[in-house]
Amino acid sequence: MALFLQRLIDGLSEGSIYSLLALGIVIIYRGTGHLNFAQGEMALFCTYIVYQMGEWGVALGFALVIGLVAGFLLGAATEVALVRPVAKRSVFAVFIVTIGLFRGLNWLDGAIWGDQVLPNSAKSKQLQYPSLFPNKPTDFWKVFGANITYQSVGILALVLVITWLLFMLFNRTKLGLAMRAVASNADSARLVGIPTHRVLMMSWGLAAAIGGLGGVVFAGTTHTVNLALMFSVFIYASAAATLGGFDSPGGAVVGGLAIGVIQNMVAGYADQWVGQQMKIAVAFLVIVGVLLVKPSGLFGTAKVERV
Amino acid sequence: MTLLRTSGLKAGYGPVTVLHDLELEVNEGEIVVMLGANGAGKTTTMRAISGLIARTGTVWFGGHDITRSAADIIVRHGIAQVPQGRGTFPELSVEDNLRAGAFVRRRGAEVDADIAKWFEVFPRLAERRDQRAGSLSGGEQQMVAIARALMSRPKLLLCDEPSLGLAPLITKELFEIISGLNREEGLSVLLVEQNANLAMHMAHRVYLLETGRIVAAGSAEALSADDSIRKAYLGF
Repeated sequence: MALFLQRLIDGLSEGSIYSLLALGIVIIYRGTGHLNFAQGEMALFCTYIVYQMGEWGVALGFALVIGLVAGFLLGAATEVALVRPVAKRSVFAVFIVTIGLFRGLNWLDGAIWGDQVLPNSAKSKQLQYPSLFPNKPTDFWKVFGANITYQSVGILALVLVITWLLFMLFNRTKLGLAMRAVASNADSARLVGIPTHRVLMMSWGLAAAIGGLGGVVFAGTTHTVNLALMFSVFIYASAAATLGGFDSPGGAVVGGLAIGVIQNMVAGYADQWVGQQMKIAVAFLVIVGVLLVKPSGLFGTAKVERV
Repeated sequence: MTLLRTSGLKAGYGPVTVLHDLELEVNEGEIVVMLGANGAGKTTTMRAISGLIARTGTVWFGGHDITRSAADIIVRHGIAQVPQGRGTFPELSVEDNLRAGAFVRRRGAEVDADIAKWFEVFPRLAERRDQRAGSLSGGEQQMVAIARALMSRPKLLLCDEPSLGLAPLITKELFEIISGLNREEGLSVLLVEQNANLAMHMAHRVYLLETGRIVAAGSAEALSADDSIRKAYLGF
């Protein structure tokens, strides 16, 4: 029981990070029909920015805001400079561009921050990557024999708050209505006066910032940041988006949490077959399984329209 | 007073030019009907005026040159389009469709009042206000598209084949509503219609379009009196 609870909590906490990145994937996908392959690397860039701010002695709260604003600008600039010019040609062209961006951003991070794990004693003033939540070894509650850390509860709460804020944005604001309208029918959106380009730019910015938050939180749990930090997280987040449905923000969150839990349960209970190293295979199995059984995902809408 | 005037309007898709030096006018308070066979360029004309496709020549509206304005700016000038094939936001609720139609307006209270007004005009939409627009019947979706276009309080309504795929009774109902708006609120209308007989009844003036050019223009009575036109477009 204690072990089950432990794995559940660990899974939800890990899954929360996948959820954040999956939210980014979904916001872009439903806005434009594009899969942003660079979602994880955009997040990594934000993660490094927050590290750098820490090195310069900026308080964590400000550092986080600066990191997320940088992420927003990066996402918005990507849409304007790279995606929009090729989007007219084909969805496939955009996909290739985001793959290029995936490599380019990783190279850029390497050029600025090097390929070592940071922080390290040779280069950094910080002892560990800043965590948004208390994470001393004693920061946990003992519940039914499981260690529930403040950090895992904090991360889960953060994701729920972000989800709620996004829900309010989409359903209670004019910008949200415009985003949904553009996602639903771009031509008609222009006909009612929505500046679709600006809305898409905002969507990419928002997606990159939310993913960036995921990167910062994730680096906080591993205490470090390095160039490979987001590779597997992006795979898990893609699995989460596939499971939840590529056009459903709520689905992305549920999908992320589910992937986190499934993965921890499978790796924990079937460790002689799966083990920690093969966790990622679970994500691939989920992707294949969902695509075979319910291609639109749990909460996605299959495109059906009465004519 | 001339509300809309195009001169030397050229537009098309990629290398294909569909409209050749199109000249047309809509005066304030007028219902103008554009007739033409399939492929004559009726929908292209609508899309060129509303700015959805690239165009050259000149488009004047309400004293402004809007040739270079983007679609979302043209709406702010007071042109609203009901696109062909409805073009609602299928994933959005009926009410959100109308709310999106009022995107260019600022005063929330007036927008709410207009939504209530259109729900009175189209009681069937009121019943389905929380339903996704894509799940509505064809006629209901057309009502959503018209109400949505009018939510921006346009001076000119571009209506692209509102009767497409609709039962004759519903078409008649829609046309009566459009005529009513014209009479009571002075709404100008440019209407593209296959159902020529019905459209001619409400038209003040008619244009005949053939392969991207205006080949005849005049009052509905004058054009109906012309034998060749009557045979080709009115079928009697």
